[in-house]
Order: sequence, then C-alpha cells, then structure tokens
Amino acid sequence: MAAFYDGLLILCGFEPREIDAERPRIERAFEKLELGPEDMVEAEAWVREKHDVELAGLRKLLGAWLKELIDLVLAGEEGKRIVYYGFPAMVRPGYLIASSGENLYCACPDTILCHTMGQIFNRLDSILEAGEVGGLPPGHALCSLWQIKVGALAKGFIPPPDLAIASSYFCDMGSKADDLLAERYGTPIYYIDGTMDSAWGEYPDYEPERVEFLGAQLNGLFDMVSETIGVRIDPEAWEKANRFVLEYYTRLAEITGLMQNDPVPLSSTVIELATILPPACTGRGIPEATRALDLLIREARERVGQGRGVVEKGSPRVMLFIGNFSDPRISRMIEESGLAVPVSFFTAPAPWPKPTVRYESMGERMADSEMRQGLYHSTYGLVKRTEMAVQSTPVDGVISNYLFNCRPVALLSHIAKSWVEDRTGLPTLSLENDVYDTRSYNAQAMRTRVETFAEMLKAKKRAGTA
Amino acid sequence: MKERGTGPLAAGVDIGAATAKAVIIDGAGRVLSWAVIPTGHDVVRAGKAVYERALDGAFQSPMYVVSTGYGRRAVSFADRAVTEIICHAAGAHAAIPGTRTVIDIGGQDSKVIALDETGAVSNFVMNDKCAAGTGRFLEVMAGVLELDLSELGPVSLAGPNPCSISSTCAIFAETEVVSLRADGRSREDILAGLHKAMAHRVAIMGRAVGFREPVLFTGGVARNEGIKKALEKEIGLTIEAPEHPQIIGALGAAIIARAEMERSKSK
Repeated sequence: MAAFYDGLLILCGFEPREIDAERPRIERAFEKLELGPEDMVEAEAWVREKHDVELAGLRKLLGAWLKELIDLVLAGEEGKRIVYYGFPAMVRPGYLIASSGENLYCACPDTILCHTMGQIFNRLDSILEAGEVGGLPPGHALCSLWQIKVGALAKGFIPPPDLAIASSYFCDMGSKADDLLAERYGTPIYYIDGTMDSAWGEYPDYEPERVEFLGAQLNGLFDMVSETIGVRIDPEAWEKANRFVLEYYTRLAEITGLMQNDPVPLSSTVIELATILPPACTGRGIPEATRALDLLIREARERVGQGRGVVEKGSPRVMLFIGNFSDPRISRMIEESGLAVPVSFFTAPAPWPKPTVRYESMGERMADSEMRQGLYHSTYGLVKRTEMAVQSTPVDGVISNYLFNCRPVALLSHIAKSWVEDRTGLPTLSLENDVYDTRSYNAQAMRTRVETFAEMLKAKKRAGTA
Repeated sequence: MKERGTGPLAAGVDIGAATAKAVIIDGAGRVLSWAVIPTGHDVVRAGKAVYERALDGAFQSPMYVVSTGYGRRAVSFADRAVTEIICHAAGAHAAIPGTRTVIDIGGQDSKVIALDETGAVSNFVMNDKCAAGTGRFLEVMAGVLELDLSELGPVSLAGPNPCSISSTCAIFAETEVVSLRADGRSREDILAGLHKAMAHRVAIMGRAVGFREPVLFTGGVARNEGIKKALEKEIGLTIEAPEHPQIIGALGAAIIARAEMERSKSK
C-alpha cells in the first residue's frame, strides 16, 4: 500500500518495487530526519518547481542522492563501520576505503545533507541552527558546511563516525570542526595535512616534496583505517577506483560535451548534482548515478536533436564557477535571466599538465594527480586553473562565486573577478553568496546582480562585442 | 500647470528600500513631472501612489512604464521591470551625457557602476551586506547626534579634525560615536570622521570596477555635500551631483520605457 512518501520517491526516480523492498528502512530514515507527510507534500512541490523533472535522468540522480541519505542516516543502527571525510574531497581515498571492506559506510555527510535536505526537502535551516548551537556559532565566519555536519550529529539525524578524515590539505576549518567530533563523541580523527602554501606563480609546477609529503599523509591514512576500523586497503581497490572514475567521468564528459550545444540542453543544476556526487559518497549512489547519467546522455541528445534547451538559442553563455549545493534557485535564477550555463570550473575541459614523475605508492600517485589539477595546489593554482578553465571554453562571461566565509578560497574570491577580466577580457560577475546556507543571501539583491549582468551580456552580444 | 510635452509619454517607477520615485518624460526625453514618497511597508501601494502623484503633473497617461528598484516586480501596471543598476546608468547618461562612473548610495545599499561611451553598463559592484556605506548608516548616526539628515553635510564640513572611526559596523559605530561624544569630541569632527569612513568603504568597493570621470553621484545620499567631498578626496576625482539625485533611477527607467516604445514602433 502506498505511503505518504511514495509520491516524492517516485518523482525522484525510485521504482515502486524498490520502495516496497525498502519500506521499513525508508520509514525509519524519515522518522529519524523528522520528515512527515507535510514535508513530503512540500518537497514534491519544491522539486517539481525547482528541478527539471521532465528528465528521467535528473529524477534518478535525485534518487541516487536520496539512497545515499537513507544509508547515511541508518548506518549506525545497521551496525556499519562509519568513515566520514571532509569536503572538498579527493575522489579516490574514500572509494579505496569503501571498496576494501564489507559492512562499511564512507561519505561526506554534510554534502549529502546539502543535496537532499537542501535541494529536495528545503529543510536545512534547523540543521544549520543546531550546528550553530552545537559549537560553530553564527557571526564568526565559520563554514556552514561544517555547521551542517555538527548540527546533523547534534540532532541525531546522522550517526557519529568510527573515524573522521579531516580535509586539512585544503581547509583549516574542517579539521577544527572535526575536533568537535573528537571532543563530543570520542571520534578518532586522521588529519590529511598538505602544504598548500607555495611560491606565487609556481603552478602548474610544484616541488616534488609536496607530493611526497601529501603522499605520505595519504599512505598514513590507510594505515590508520586498518588500525581503527580493521579494513586493509585491498590491492585491487586501486584498479576498482580507477575503473569507477573512468566509467563515471567518461559519461560526465559526454554530458559536458553535449552542454556545448546551443541552446544548452540541460540546466546547470543537473550538472551540479552529477558533478558533486562522486566526491561526496561511495555507496550505492554511485552505480545509481552512473545509470542516471546514461539516461541524461540520451535525453540531452534528444533535446539537442530537437533544438530544445533551457534558454533560447543564441543566449549569452557563462561559466558558473560552482553551483549552489543546497539551493537550486540560484542556478535557475541565472537561467531565468536568459543566461546559458554550459560549463563550471569542475567541468571545463582545460588540459591538465601531464605527470613528469612516476610515483609508486598509492598516496603519492593521488597527491601528484591532485597537485596537477590545481585545486589543492595553492591560491595561485586555483586562480590559474580558473583562468585556464575560462580560456578553454567559448563563453561570453563568467560568474565567480564570492564565498565570503570559505577561508581556503577567501583570496580567490577577492581576486578572481579582476584576474579573469584582465587576462581573458570577459565580463565577470562576482556573486557573493554561501553555497551551503540559504539564509545568508538576499534573493532580491542577488537577482538584481544577475539580471544586470545578463542585460550587460545581451547588450554586448547585440552590439557584436561579446 | 500640466505640461503637454511632445509625443507619447513614458514613465519610470523606482521602488527603493527607503523611497519610491516616479518620473514622466515626453517623446523628446524632457522631464514633465516627478514625485518622491516614502516606500513604507506596502510596496504595491507605494508604486501606485508615487505614479499617481507624478501623473498629476502630466497632461496625458504614459504609453509605456518601466519599473525598477527592489520593488520592481511589485509594480503590476509596469510593462517591463529592469534592474536599478541598468536604470541608474541610463539616467546618469541622460543627466550628464558622457558619464563614465555612477556612485549610487541609496537607503539600504550602495553601488559603483562603470558606463561605456554609449551609456551602457560595462561593469558594476554592489554592497547590500553591510549597512555601513548606505543611507541607513547616516540615518542612524543622525539620530545619535540629534541632527536632521539635511544638516549632516554642512555640519561635517565644519569639522576640521575628522575623528578616526574604526568600526565598519553601523551598530558598533554608533557605540563608538557615543564614546567619542563622551570624550568631548565635537559633532562636526565626528561627522567628518563618519563621512570619511563611509567614503573609504565605497571607494574600496568601487576599485573593483575603477573610477573614471565624469563621475556622477546619485541616490538620496548624494544630497549630502559632506559625503560627496569625502568621496572626492578618497577617489581623487571630481564628483558631480545632479539637482535631484534621488530620481536618476526612475529617470533611467523612463528613458528605457521611451526606447521600448520607439523599438516597438519601428517593428
């Protein structure tokens, strides 16, 4: 018999047989998350309004996130050994751990909550508030992503982990938030430290010592995983991880390629959901999302064939640095203003520098790959990668997120606009917001900025100067 | 007496956070009438009221209306809604042709807008996160110093030794001002210091787009000669202020409305 949540789950790509098979788990998870019939009605309306539910692939993608949410919420009471890692995350370490042991749950819980309790249920505020009460108070420029993790733990929405991996190679705040887990729940923490400071102008080069240091940190992680949760990294896991990366990202690259059509066939909200899933989780969401990408490829091709898109053909095209994790309205607002978003920082086909040294250990190979990609290299690496991403894609403008409370990208936020404008000549909008916390921006003021930028680009295009 | 004007009329309605403005122009772009009223809590009513008041000065009803400002979507009788940044640029270009930079300080935000030689927006930056740098900041300070808003400019210009105001938060700046009063500092010096601090914030923000002459100062705060002088000192350029700086956004909206009429006529 259908229950109050069936409608939403069907909308989010669940098959009726999947719901029937999992009913007790679904009900238990929603009970723990304090989601009742009214929340489902509101979520259904929200999803229909804010997401392109005509796309079966998009619905399946939302379903993949929801399945990860259910597994996350129930991991503790189902007796799983739980590993949380911080965001932004390197894709391989979590996947290596997850594919080396049974009865294991390994993910970025905060990122899953953003994409489900935010993007699907629009119910993040109470979690954020609990995070503020629980140790990361408001008004202190503390990251809202970590508030979500701390708040969800405080509310009992998610279980305390058996091991927390701090993304100290990128963010100093994440490790401090994880310290709270140690203090509150006695959680062992492994800090993956990096050396993010490097000479200005160094990227794409980097000192080998940086690879050796980060590589040693990553190798140390695998030792700690073995000690704390008894999982030894399977020698075949490396190949498995590579296979998954290849399967998923080949599909994502195909969609990114289809997004270069005019009109752009899919909303950037779809691409955001697809891009962030692999670094955020390692469970059944991954194969589910892989199948969702297959559907999306087919649907995007159909739209391209029909000449259909999310904005009119000939609209100005912009690169959006990063989509909003919790709130699809921002990206939709950009598209409603008549701007096509074919690409983001993460999907731009900028060429990566080739490896120059062959490293042997898994940790060093991962570290070398991350250094080359620039995200964890340095502020210069970030801004240079941004410039390379913009130059590799034919766009008329750039929307750069000004993430005012994200310490690792504080300088990038400040200089990105002038850097990109000076080096590419492309108009750049610096959009001040918080991609995790919807309470931190005024929608009307954001609309004023976005619509003005859209008008600017349209005028330039009409004048033939864009 | 109602002005007849030339050709069909166009109107701009600007619903800001503090005031609602309306301007009616004729086919030649000449301003026939304008009105300014407090926005209050009901933006729908404010839009209608300010428009009707401006209509009192016009002989016939406009054929096309463009709305702008935070409340632009609440103006149901408007044919089109356009952002205030675009409208301020259009209004500034009409008020002083060749304007290359607009500094707009309104009730609850501030903007620096760069214009190209045709008057189109080429870049902009906007602050709506912090009250310091807005008209509201000055309102709070006027209250603390027991002065009318219109007195702020003249009083500040009489302050030879501007106080150093270290706080960039409107609330904490208020505390600082009370402390300075307790220390015996004059209202003139305190106000001069407040204007300097506010101008400094706007100048830092504006560096992202750059300042080029002619620079036009718009928004209600532009009537304050003290802040204008402080801004000139900060950016090292001469700043011009139109006679009625509050209505530049509405004027720009009216100009865009007129252009829309002409475009539809030529189709």
